[in-house]
Amino acid sequence: MAHSWGMSVDLDRCTGCEACVVACHAENNIPTAGPDEAARGRAKHWMRVERYWEGEFPDVRLKFRPVLCQQCESAPCEPVCPTYASSHTSEGLNAQIYNRCIGTRYCANACPYNVRFFNFYNPVWERPLDLQLNPDVSIREQGVMEKCTFCVQRINAGKIDAKANGRELQDGEIKPACVQSCTANALVFGDLNDPDSAVSRLSRSPRGSKLLEEMGTQPKVTYLERETWHKSEGTHRG
Amino acid sequence: MDRRDFIKASAAAGATATLAGCGNPENQLIRFIPEEPLFPGIATWKPSICSLCSAGCGVLVRVMEGEAQVIRNGQTGILKMGLAKKLEGNPDHPISQGKICARGQAAIQVTYHPDRIRQPLKRSGDRGSGQFQEISWDQAMSEALSRLNSIASSEDRKTLGFLTRPLSGQREVLVSQFLEQFGAPSATVFEVFGNEVLREANRRSFGYAQLPTFDLARSHYVLSFGADFLGTWNSPVAHSLAYGEMRQGRPGIRAKFVQVEPRMSQTGANADEWIPVKPGTEGILALGLAHVILKAKLRTPSDAARAGELIDGWNSGLPNYTPEAVATRTGLSSARIEKLAHEFAEHGPAVAMIGDAPLAHTNGMSQALAVNALNALVGNVGKAGGIFFTPRPDIGGPPKAGRHLRDIAADVLVAARTPVQVLLLNDTNPVFGSPPAWRVAEALRKIPYIISFGSFLDETSSLADLVLPDHSFLESWVDAVPESGTSMSVASIAPPVMRPLHQTRSMPDVLIEIGRQLQRPLSLPWKTYEEMVKAAAEVLPGESGSWESIQGQGGWWRSASMLQPDRQTARREAPLNDAQFDGRAEDYPFHFLPYASQAFLDGSLAHLPWLQELPDVVSTAMWSSWVEINPRTAQDLGIVQGDMIEITSAHGTLQAPALLSPGIAPDVVGMPVGQGHQNYTRYASGRGANPLSILSGVTEPETGALAWAATRVKVAKMQNSGEQRPLILFAGGMKEHEERHR
Repeated sequence: MAHSWGMSVDLDRCTGCEACVVACHAENNIPTAGPDEAARGRAKHWMRVERYWEGEFPDVRLKFRPVLCQQCESAPCEPVCPTYASSHTSEGLNAQIYNRCIGTRYCANACPYNVRFFNFYNPVWERPLDLQLNPDVSIREQGVMEKCTFCVQRINAGKIDAKANGRELQDGEIKPACVQSCTANALVFGDLNDPDSAVSRLSRSPRGSKLLEEMGTQPKVTYLERETWHKSEGTHRG
Repeated sequence: MDRRDFIKASAAAGATATLAGCGNPENQLIRFIPEEPLFPGIATWKPSICSLCSAGCGVLVRVMEGEAQVIRNGQTGILKMGLAKKLEGNPDHPISQGKICARGQAAIQVTYHPDRIRQPLKRSGDRGSGQFQEISWDQAMSEALSRLNSIASSEDRKTLGFLTRPLSGQREVLVSQFLEQFGAPSATVFEVFGNEVLREANRRSFGYAQLPTFDLARSHYVLSFGADFLGTWNSPVAHSLAYGEMRQGRPGIRAKFVQVEPRMSQTGANADEWIPVKPGTEGILALGLAHVILKAKLRTPSDAARAGELIDGWNSGLPNYTPEAVATRTGLSSARIEKLAHEFAEHGPAVAMIGDAPLAHTNGMSQALAVNALNALVGNVGKAGGIFFTPRPDIGGPPKAGRHLRDIAADVLVAARTPVQVLLLNDTNPVFGSPPAWRVAEALRKIPYIISFGSFLDETSSLADLVLPDHSFLESWVDAVPESGTSMSVASIAPPVMRPLHQTRSMPDVLIEIGRQLQRPLSLPWKTYEEMVKAAAEVLPGESGSWESIQGQGGWWRSASMLQPDRQTARREAPLNDAQFDGRAEDYPFHFLPYASQAFLDGSLAHLPWLQELPDVVSTAMWSSWVEINPRTAQDLGIVQGDMIEITSAHGTLQAPALLSPGIAPDVVGMPVGQGHQNYTRYASGRGANPLSILSGVTEPETGALAWAATRVKVAKMQNSGEQRPLILFAGGMKEHEERHR
């Protein structure tokens, strides 16, 4: 059976450390926008940590939520693309095929999660910062939309390695950069078509929900809600 | 330019390049023969140790073939070499366990930074003008040697100073032996957010002058007094890993986490209960909790042993710390204090910790002793789910603490002939990081000769006369003996993961070389630092300690029994004083709270572009300074989000945009440390404001540590702000209608 890649995000584990954000930059050759472009809202963060304030001082709470492309099964970004640059892969990824993209930005308009980023300029790495670039990931040029790929280069490398060694892919063997870096193990990645995979089990958790699921996008990222502590329960919960 | 023109232009440019190449051979870079075996497209993962903070996380570095422009024997050319591509945690390493933080992920940019110093520099303009000329290593070494030889008389040898960031492992041993043999005083360590108060408190309470390690993964109740332990404090990666397990790693058990602090930190955001108390009263709350626990006979005073005996009134049940009295002083209700005390005592194993701002008050020591006593009272010291002290392998000997930077600066300023004639400066930036009252910049300017080993020009190293640039940690032998963060005994050791990119030399190798070439040579027994590290590794016990396996896995570690607290009586009761603040409350109505920023720590990482563009998780700000202010306070002062405001203490003034934050007490203004560099590479220079520049020089009296949370300020909206420095926020960005067309 084909794979269906998915992720679970345990908001009770996430500490907001943002290791995932920088790991994503390092892995995916994401250019630094600089202060002027960042002020225009053009900073590129395929992975970001959103934060929500609740209440007022002193009864105030702050909640974190890592947000990346939700790799929707029914993705609003795909049908709007006139050149089929935004397309669905056989493994359920919302792919962005850079050399088909003509920069209409319809996909970014259609995406309710704000996870698509447009290259207004050719990216610049001031030498020798370019020596860090990951040779497994192509660099996007001016006029091209870019987005989270679930680190498709790592998925492919894992599949090739398994095939070359004549073995089955193991659950947990493939880790996108954000998942690999997650310091509290809040992010878990795997195959949703394997009912026994860690991500499948976590996605079935009663704490789970999808982001903006009422829009019918059928995301493949499941958020496990943060719990609260009640004295009546003590430290034990049912 | 359309496609057709572009092709024409490229063709023309190509032809020109070819012609130029034929005519002027020096314009065409030659290709050097690779110095190492390389396999195109194949990545290898090599161990190293992240050196951006003192936690000592083991990392794995992805190394792949690439082409770099390098200089070899004075000739510039292109070299195919193994290049570091990405850092990840080393899964076998006991501290990082496969993870590193956001700063560690960005650490690779230190090596490839465009403003790294590429070869030795000699000052060519006035001190501080930033004018340097590049010189050869031969010339640089002879200049350094002649300076050191000029202070060779037995009296003069004491005038060699060594000012450094915290060192670990064999670097610390080498520096200490170099100075001792030279006849110079011990090295002075400078860091803004040092932990000397807590180390000294732990020595008094438990017998170990060491940062504590927390067994969060097995704890049922975590009570943190101000420690940003998931963000920037102590060993954040080890803490985060254990925190995840504490929350969701045990079926049926989820610990409670309570954070006590007047400004919600990244760590505080994760708490089940967040308790803002008045700044400097955290220790009073700890003793209030102990009072309730003792009064309800949940524990007896003797349970706390030595840690309790250090507290005034402990054995009589802390009569001055009734919930009512503590409520008045901390600003909490007495019912809440009682509830918290019962939870803490009844939901064991429980652990309390103290870090960051509560230690940076004038009463920091007694606050730390109070929390230590609370920990000891509930019996969690050296126990599962509590706190313990990491057993360190004996390959160094105890570090010798040099004199305090503040005292040295004071001496230099008053002396006719300065007591420091030559200063060696290793990768620390006190001109940026110390309060103006210490007059460090002025003192450094008075020192006749400064040699810096740093990789970048910053506010301090630009005062140097000679720069002998160090390798980056990826290009060096690295080693560290972690102070905390694991129950195992660890000595991290790793060889360089790549060849040096520039004409740099590793600081320890330069010290060894200087020691050999002095007129009166030092008897350092090693030819290279590699030899020294190897010699130290041979002392490590056990079968896992073969030199090859240590290099292969990035160090040596073995399980060891936990250090048990020293229970021997050291009776010395001390009352918990009230915190003293600089500036009268009538003139300066707000507490000023600088804090280590998520991206830049103490400002030493502000030069990395990935971290500049990392949205701070609480404010979502990038490339900016900001001042956090309570929305109601802001309303009273007529301040809205993004307004330029002026913060004034008795020692200075700064301007920064206001960030309205519900997570800060109305009488506190908070500001991240890190921006406000005058001179620190193209990415950080001239950006934002430095909160340390308006701090008073008040210290914690028993250790002399800077009480960086003890300054009061006033706040005003700027009427004519002149040049607006915008607050760049990631949240709320990406609005198409706000985009300007160019």
